[in-house]
Amino acid sequence: MASAFALSCARRGERTLLMELGVKDKSSSLFGAAQVDSEIREVDENLYAVNVTPQAAMEEYALMVLKIKLIYRAVFENRVVKAFLRVVPGLNELLMLGKAYYHVTEEDERGKPVWDKVIVDAPATGHGIFFLKIASVITNLINSGRMYDEAQSILELLRDETRTGIALVTLAEDMPVNETLMLRKVIEEEMELPVACVIANAIYRPLFSEEEEDWIEAARRHVDRDADESEEDEESKVLGYLEAAKFRIDRVAMQQKYLEKLRAEVEEPLIEIPYYFFDRMSFAIIDEIAGDLDEVLPAETSSAQSAG
Amino acid sequence: MAIDDHRPFREMLEERKIIICVGSGGVGKTTSSAVLGLQAATAGLKVLVLTIDPARRLANSLGIDAIGSERQKISMEQFEKVGLHPKGEMWAMMLDMKESFDRLVQRDAPDEETGREILENRFYHYFSTSVAGTQEYAASERLYDLYVEGEFDLIVLDTPPTTHALDFLEAPERMVDAVSSRALQWMYKPGVLSGTPRRGILSVGTSYVTRTLGKFTGGELLEELSTFLRTFSTLFEGFEQRARAVRELLASEETGFLVVTAPDTLTVEEALFFYDRLDGEELNVDGFIVNRVHPQWVGAEELDRRPSELADRLSALGRSAQLEESAQLDMEALAQGLRENAQQFQLRADQDAGSIVKMSEELPGELPIMCVPYFNEDIHSLDGLDVARRELFGEAAGADCAQ
Repeated sequence: MASAFALSCARRGERTLLMELGVKDKSSSLFGAAQVDSEIREVDENLYAVNVTPQAAMEEYALMVLKIKLIYRAVFENRVVKAFLRVVPGLNELLMLGKAYYHVTEEDERGKPVWDKVIVDAPATGHGIFFLKIASVITNLINSGRMYDEAQSILELLRDETRTGIALVTLAEDMPVNETLMLRKVIEEEMELPVACVIANAIYRPLFSEEEEDWIEAARRHVDRDADESEEDEESKVLGYLEAAKFRIDRVAMQQKYLEKLRAEVEEPLIEIPYYFFDRMSFAIIDEIAGDLDEVLPAETSSAQSAG
Repeated sequence: MAIDDHRPFREMLEERKIIICVGSGGVGKTTSSAVLGLQAATAGLKVLVLTIDPARRLANSLGIDAIGSERQKISMEQFEKVGLHPKGEMWAMMLDMKESFDRLVQRDAPDEETGREILENRFYHYFSTSVAGTQEYAASERLYDLYVEGEFDLIVLDTPPTTHALDFLEAPERMVDAVSSRALQWMYKPGVLSGTPRRGILSVGTSYVTRTLGKFTGGELLEELSTFLRTFSTLFEGFEQRARAVRELLASEETGFLVVTAPDTLTVEEALFFYDRLDGEELNVDGFIVNRVHPQWVGAEELDRRPSELADRLSALGRSAQLEESAQLDMEALAQGLRENAQQFQLRADQDAGSIVKMSEELPGELPIMCVPYFNEDIHSLDGLDVARRELFGEAAGADCAQ
């Protein structure tokens, strides 16, 4: 979804940076680019991608502050310091968020923002909460030093709804929906961060009218009852169609029930993305979903995150 | 080919004492774990299903309000309601990882006061929930405890849904590595982290390093963290010993791993990656479970027939079944809809079949790959679990998704 949204923004002429966080690179296979790593690369027109790892972010950041590589080596590649940094709670998350912050505020020589939009593909719920929370955790733990300052500015960016929007991505099924509702509550009430929208992915388009559904169900029961195992008759061949239709009908009903639940409990816009019957990993699908998003998602805020 | 030969799966339940389900998030791991538990209980074993997921619906389907952090027996009544008469017993328990970690602190602390000091430290909460692998470590410890208690014939564990699904395995080692490395122990000494050498043992270089670090974190944080780590380090001895024992148990013949996956390309790739990792660590992988496989409802040959034929056949069917034909029902349109739907799902079914072939090609021939079809609804009843159980263990008409 993050890739599709990024593509959608890029198509609208925004210079867009898609950030993935230390995952096995997914966007590279989607955009047909060579491996996306810790270097920012152009993967499509106006669209750049980077895979952020804590190690790379740390080096980049420390070098930015320390300026001299030799000092960086002496301090940060010190065996003891390395071991220590691994146990500083939340340092990795802060570094990755820090990199997002840096790019959101990055300006070129003429003082123009380098990126129109930065899209972060955030980790799944449990870790995602921690990821979003880390800045305020740090400002609660300490109250001076560079780490505090950085955390403070990140927090300000995250809380500013003109600049940040959090998109919650879900499936219209029991567990994902409950998780999303829980996540939304935590983000809005505990962390006081702005949720921009909820995106329900893979929604089946209803194909049959109520009369058709009734007919299909009655016919299915009839064939099922009469089915003679040895006989390969015409009726049993039709059964396959009816079973497939039954699957669709039940899935549609289930999804509608959960969409209803989302509508009832979520104030932010609910965006539905249709189910695609092709396998996920193709540029064509991302391209189509980008088209779906174009219609419904305004591209105003300068940094966006998706989680779920 | 080893696809859908159910025998090895049944043997696995008899031979192993622990079965660990690994896989990406959202592939039905929790459900698969419950299904394995159900089969084990049916076969006469006393089985514990250990989940990390507070899946309320799963709890409800087992006839309990919620799966809590205390083990709970699924009552016979629940089984009898759906016509099952298991010879064994099925128990369920949720692994509360935070709680497990608290327990571990209380157990390994040299005395009560140190234990309390750790639990009350403001870093502790973040440390126990955020440093890579701490929660997984606590979970694997808990598993070990339950195994040693020996109360169950079999324990089925559903691992946490992380992107790094193998964290659980590496957790014991990483935990020990992270907290007990010599390098780090040196830092717990008073004064080191704040850069104020009290005993004159620190070189100028060291204090330079800590001062530079302090610029980033603030000196106060370093000082406090060192106090915390120093108290915390009293636990290390226990950690190291136990981590080794846990690791040995996971690698022994007592433990078998099952890779659970969905049939889409991306997830299958991840599953194959998990397999390589497990296999590389010389752990026993007993098989694959592929959930949510789209059945071949209609078949390509049938879909090649002329669309108008289907409408005729539907009309004939309607007559023979004496179905009421309301005026609004257009047989041509219905046939078209049915065809479109069947074509779409055929696409999925073909892709799923392709994934399964790919898996069978890349995995060793003797490794069982078991398919569970995609059901109409999420499984949320014991009945549903039983349907999945019969698919998995060969009592159903036949899960021939690999053909």
